[in-house]
Amino acid sequence: MNSIPLSVYLVLALILFCIGLFGALTKRNAVIVLISIELMLNAVNINLVAFAKYGAKPGLTGQIFSLFTITVAAAEAAVGLAILMALYRNRKTVNVDEMDIMKR
Amino acid sequence: MQNAWLIPLLPLLSFILLLLFGKKLKEASAYAGIGATLLSLMLAAAVMLGQWGGESYKAEGVWLSIGKHAVTMGYEINPLNALMLVIVTLVSFLVHVYSKSYMRGDDRFHVFFAYLGLFTFAMLGLVLSPNLLQVYMFWELVGLGSFLLIGYYYFKPEAKAAAKKAFIMTRIGDVGLFIGIILLYWQAGSFEYDEIFKAIADGTISSDMITLIAILIFVGAVGKSGQLPLHTWLPDAMEGPTPVSALIHAATMVAAGVYLVAAMYPLFEASSAAMTTVAVVGGITAIFAASIGLMQKDIKRVLAYSTVSQLGYMMLALGSGGYTAGVFHLMTHAFFKALLFLAAGSVIHAVHTQNIEEMGGLWRKLKITAPLFLIGALSISGFPLFSGFFSKDEILMATYGDGRYGLFVLAVLAAFFTAFYMFRLFFMVFAGSPSQEHGKVGESDGPMILPMAVLGVLAVLAGYLNTPWFGTFLADYLSHGPVRFAAEGEHGPIWIPILATAVSLAGILLAYLMYGKKKLSRNWLSRSLPSLSTIVYRKYYVDEAYDATVVRGTTGFSCLWSYVDRYLVEGAVNGTVSLIQWLGKRGSYMYDGQVQRIGAVAVAGLVIILLFFAAAGGYFS
Amino acid sequence: MTGEMIAFFILALAAIAGGVLMINLSNVVHMVVALVFTFLAIAGIYITLSAEFVAAVQVLIYSGAITIIMLFGIMLTRHERDTASKMPRMTVLLSGAGVALFFLIMFFGINRLSLGSPAADLHIENTKKIGVELYSKYIIPFELTSVLLLVALVGAIVLAKRDEEKEAEK
Repeated sequence: MNSIPLSVYLVLALILFCIGLFGALTKRNAVIVLISIELMLNAVNINLVAFAKYGAKPGLTGQIFSLFTITVAAAEAAVGLAILMALYRNRKTVNVDEMDIMKR
Repeated sequence: MQNAWLIPLLPLLSFILLLLFGKKLKEASAYAGIGATLLSLMLAAAVMLGQWGGESYKAEGVWLSIGKHAVTMGYEINPLNALMLVIVTLVSFLVHVYSKSYMRGDDRFHVFFAYLGLFTFAMLGLVLSPNLLQVYMFWELVGLGSFLLIGYYYFKPEAKAAAKKAFIMTRIGDVGLFIGIILLYWQAGSFEYDEIFKAIADGTISSDMITLIAILIFVGAVGKSGQLPLHTWLPDAMEGPTPVSALIHAATMVAAGVYLVAAMYPLFEASSAAMTTVAVVGGITAIFAASIGLMQKDIKRVLAYSTVSQLGYMMLALGSGGYTAGVFHLMTHAFFKALLFLAAGSVIHAVHTQNIEEMGGLWRKLKITAPLFLIGALSISGFPLFSGFFSKDEILMATYGDGRYGLFVLAVLAAFFTAFYMFRLFFMVFAGSPSQEHGKVGESDGPMILPMAVLGVLAVLAGYLNTPWFGTFLADYLSHGPVRFAAEGEHGPIWIPILATAVSLAGILLAYLMYGKKKLSRNWLSRSLPSLSTIVYRKYYVDEAYDATVVRGTTGFSCLWSYVDRYLVEGAVNGTVSLIQWLGKRGSYMYDGQVQRIGAVAVAGLVIILLFFAAAGGYFS
Repeated sequence: MTGEMIAFFILALAAIAGGVLMINLSNVVHMVVALVFTFLAIAGIYITLSAEFVAAVQVLIYSGAITIIMLFGIMLTRHERDTASKMPRMTVLLSGAGVALFFLIMFFGINRLSLGSPAADLHIENTKKIGVELYSKYIIPFELTSVLLLVALVGAIVLAKRDEEKEAEK
């Protein structure tokens, strides 16, 4: 039954997190950056669920926490996209490197 | 006696009063100082009369308590300091009266009297102190008063330099005194005189330590009393007003060193090495300063070197076990030297020069000052029946009795020099004909004559306090004090007074022949031994030597460090600043509003933190 | 090699492959589609972790809702071909190095992790138990979540709405 060790799940989550992080840091398209962030959140969720089963204190808490995370991620995606739309209307671009109005 | 604490407070009151209202009082401010010192003088006289056969008195309260140690403050009356009280208040009072006339018309008249009040307060406080810490505090305050008064004519660069020199030179001695006091506290556990003496008597302090402490305290006395090698400030201090020279640099402050040695006498007595040091330094200073005095041309400088020489005498007496002799000479010297200075001030006041070669023939013009100066000169030269004769005899006898014949010879020679240069001064100033016209030369007025007259009387009579003929009143009086001194060879060989008299007469005669009658050429010494006379005239090049070694050395060292500071330290500081600024500029240049770059930097920071944790073995380890 | 193991490896491979594709594809829509595979694979992995309800939610929200939102976002904005908009190579390399370092550190950290005994009964009546927990123990966070969603809804509408007054001025 428990032939799959915890660390394998964690490594999978780590790989996905690193892909998401790399994407978030290097992609120019703001939509892809947002999607990458979603991927990172998913990796964290895998950790939460894995610890719910294999952790030092197994229980449902990890799963419930991941549900909250998914909810918050959905809200974040909605708001992030709304900001993206507002920016696009003003600057006519979705490229992250052209959004430098925070400069000074 | 219980009111003795008022004695120093009255001059302090005068100081504060003049500080606050001096500008309004103007010339009237003299009366505040005169009144305060007169009251002090009367109190001091009462205290001293009470001490005549009475008991010592001591009152003190805890000032600070640090852990188990308590530092006390208070005052003490014993025969020695009661005598000092009278000397200080008397001379201070007379100088106040004298200054009222002497300083008339000065812009900072009230400031002068305020400083005098401050100095008198400090000196009296020093004398009354029952413990060394208090002594040290007043000791520094006295130095401050001296500094302010030497630099009174602060617009004269020489006066400024002299004030600084006096302050710094005495400071060197004070450091020794301070270390000595600390060592003494460490060893005896107290600042109190009587407890220290008890510790010494009980033998709780090792003899090496006693020697070390005694010599360190003597270093303080050397600085204050202008002994070799720290004597050079005292002649320069003559840049101050003449009454100040009389009060501080003749009668009181410079005698503080002698007083300190006398007050700490049991400590010195416990170590023969320390006694020898005191005696040798005193003896060499006496002859050394006297020889410089032979060649000086400035009337006040001659007197200043004479002061140094006489202080050396006192140290020699104390170091030779002549406790009474030292204190006795301190007292007589205070009177006749103050007299000489005041008379010199009167002369300067009349002719407006200090160079004795420009004077002459003043005997007929200054009909009162001249005889008074003569009394002082006779007294200091040890002319029979004047006070200096008795005190100097005692010193010679004490030195002889102590068995240090080399020092005895030096002392006799110094007595000869003293008689010679004093009468050289006298004849050059008062005898002969005026070498230069000084315009209208008038005698000084009453307030200047009166103090000189009082001092003149004392300069004669003070000697009779302790004579082999009429009884040793002073020795009996002092023996009531806390300091137990061995019975001295009061009745030494009869030839000593005769020798001393002969020597002083010889000095006077030689001076008369050279400067009075002019039978001998004035310049035979400088003609026959030009190099020697130049050396003596230039004060053995001590100032030049100090300038070349200590002053130049310090300046060079300071220069070096100022360069180190300017270029190395400041360079490092500025370098750090500009590095940080450069980094900041770079950093702000890198910040271009790119969100992803911000994210990248955040990740880099996270990675670095994680690396640290990984190296440390994890967060929880 | 149990069936569970095989299922896990297939799903894990699918998830990683989706991620890698997402990074390397050039068409934005293709990228999103690649990510849908990843999301679905993750849902499968939840099932192997005895979290059926979470898996269902994953499919509904990520593969469904968020993907659709992203596609809307892509369609509403103009996109030139992604090849022209590559980041500077330096930035890519540095970011890659940083991420790789992070990966290594965490990887060795994971290897050192000590394990507890796994829970055996999570899959039994999983949804019911989650529901009971949510409405009893976690009722306050649950209700707060609804507030958060409402705020996000209002915020998104306000942000995305055309500012008619300003446009009228123009």
